[in-house]
Amino acid sequence: MSFEGKIKAGDFKKVIDSVSRLVDEIKLQITEDGVQTKASDPANVAMVILSINKEGFDSFSLDEEMEIGLDLDKLEDILGVASSSDFVELSTEDGSTLDVEVGGFEYNLSLLDPSTIQEQPEIPNLDLPSKIIMEGKTLKKAVKAAEKVSDYLILVTQGKKLTIKAEGDSDSVKLDLEEEDLIEIESEKDSRSLFSLDYLSDMSKSLSSADRVEMELGSDYPIKLKFPIVNEEGKVEYMLAPRIESE
Amino acid sequence: MGVELSGILDKKEIQFNLLYDKEIAIDAYNSLYQFLSIIRQPNGKPLQDSDGNTTSHLSGLFYRTINLIEKGIKPIYVFDGEPPSLKKETIKERRKNREESRKEWKKAIKEGKKEKAFKKATMSSKLTKEMVEESKDLLDHMGVPVVNAPSEGEAQAAHMVKKGDAWSVGSQDFDSLLFGSPYLIKNLTITGKRKLPNKDEYIKINLEEISLKENLERLGISREDLIDIAILIGTDYNEGIKGIGPKKALNIIKKHEDIFSVVENEEYEIEGLKEIRELFLSPKVTDEYKLKWGELNKSKIKQFLCNRRDFSEDRVKKASDRLDSGLDEIKSQSTLDSF
Repeated sequence: MSFEGKIKAGDFKKVIDSVSRLVDEIKLQITEDGVQTKASDPANVAMVILSINKEGFDSFSLDEEMEIGLDLDKLEDILGVASSSDFVELSTEDGSTLDVEVGGFEYNLSLLDPSTIQEQPEIPNLDLPSKIIMEGKTLKKAVKAAEKVSDYLILVTQGKKLTIKAEGDSDSVKLDLEEEDLIEIESEKDSRSLFSLDYLSDMSKSLSSADRVEMELGSDYPIKLKFPIVNEEGKVEYMLAPRIESE
Repeated sequence: MGVELSGILDKKEIQFNLLYDKEIAIDAYNSLYQFLSIIRQPNGKPLQDSDGNTTSHLSGLFYRTINLIEKGIKPIYVFDGEPPSLKKETIKERRKNREESRKEWKKAIKEGKKEKAFKKATMSSKLTKEMVEESKDLLDHMGVPVVNAPSEGEAQAAHMVKKGDAWSVGSQDFDSLLFGSPYLIKNLTITGKRKLPNKDEYIKINLEEISLKENLERLGISREDLIDIAILIGTDYNEGIKGIGPKKALNIIKKHEDIFSVVENEEYEIEGLKEIRELFLSPKVTDEYKLKWGELNKSKIKQFLCNRRDFSEDRVKKASDRLDSGLDEIKSQSTLDSF
């Protein structure tokens, strides 16, 4: 079994970045369609599901499906030396080491034994009533404003309006987004959920450059945030469990 | 105290974030004794207030429980009830040892032997009824659930884990595994740097997880076998056979059908054998408890710790604030497995 892939360093950085915000180690599945992974943080509060089609790679060849264990910190360090327009060439013969060629360097990294990495999480089956499409930067801005006053964010839909707010001990902030401020909003039912900003601010950094972020929301239900990556050839989906208000 | 099984049970070092949002049924007596023996002044004396009341247990309980809650862990303190009559001998023995150590501690101080004094002091730790009661009150003010076991705390804690009301037992002793707890977490309230006894050295204490199932599978034995091994080594209810440690006991039990045939073949004498096995296999436990987090009463905490026990107002206030936000987090953050 062997794999060889070539991808833009800038794209690959974003891919690794979107996952490393939640976990340090992942199992990456390499199949004839491309690469996929899913992982949840150790507390199982948040989850990321990632896939990149093989078309997202400049070149992609594989003779047999395989699963490799990646230490994301190590990869991020390496990618740090590359400029966005560089290409990264990845190859492995047997899944025990990974050759990474980038910016003139040839790295040989030992891979992790996939069986030592946390089991891949079960994906909760959610049918959420509110579906919103918005620009990544809008959400990023709202999260940034909320961080100044609170530890959590409140997301509310009323008809065709999305309200993002945060309430601290002494201060509060609110952003109303009407239909025209959003790309799309469809809501079978009004929703209201709270989310920890610890997680959301990390996620919003990854999605800030996406032109379209699909948000799905319910009442006291997890939020889903989906956005394309690697020129629409890949997608990242975050899921985050809500904070439930007591009393 | 407890059964010494470390020779045959494998443990796994784990990180605190693995315990996020998990309920841990902590053996309260075990923890309080740990605090009493570890939290001491350099001369070996426990922390005291101006009236001479010991406060080491309160300091440990307050600050270290808050550390756990801040990490998203949900502690439940399980207190011992009436000890089984078979334990009376052990209790008498422990009392004697404590008194001996107390005498030796005083003597070592007089002789200027600092290291010995400290060691003997830690061995003389005594947990009084009053200390237990005030610990329960403090936990209550802190919004941390307290469970009163009808008999052994470890048995009750194990019962709660088996029922799924808690994820693991937290204790330094192995007994909860004999009582059938699937998991045991060690060093929960004592992680960090700790001084080695008799030496001027510090070691790092890490969190450890011991899985009953994994260990039984690896050793190729049943829980009953593990209980029999413990009985051969010695438990809180019997002295054990002289010269038999965990590894030897494991071999003996594996060679025989059960402990009864061991006793018969080797001509060992274990008083109350059947009764001891029963105590481990079906101990006295209760389903009457409430696990509710978060009725923090800051003014009662201040009144008790600061006004009556001379704790620093500033430190207690800061810790109470941390507790407040920790409890808030525990009460509100859900996890994906609940959907």
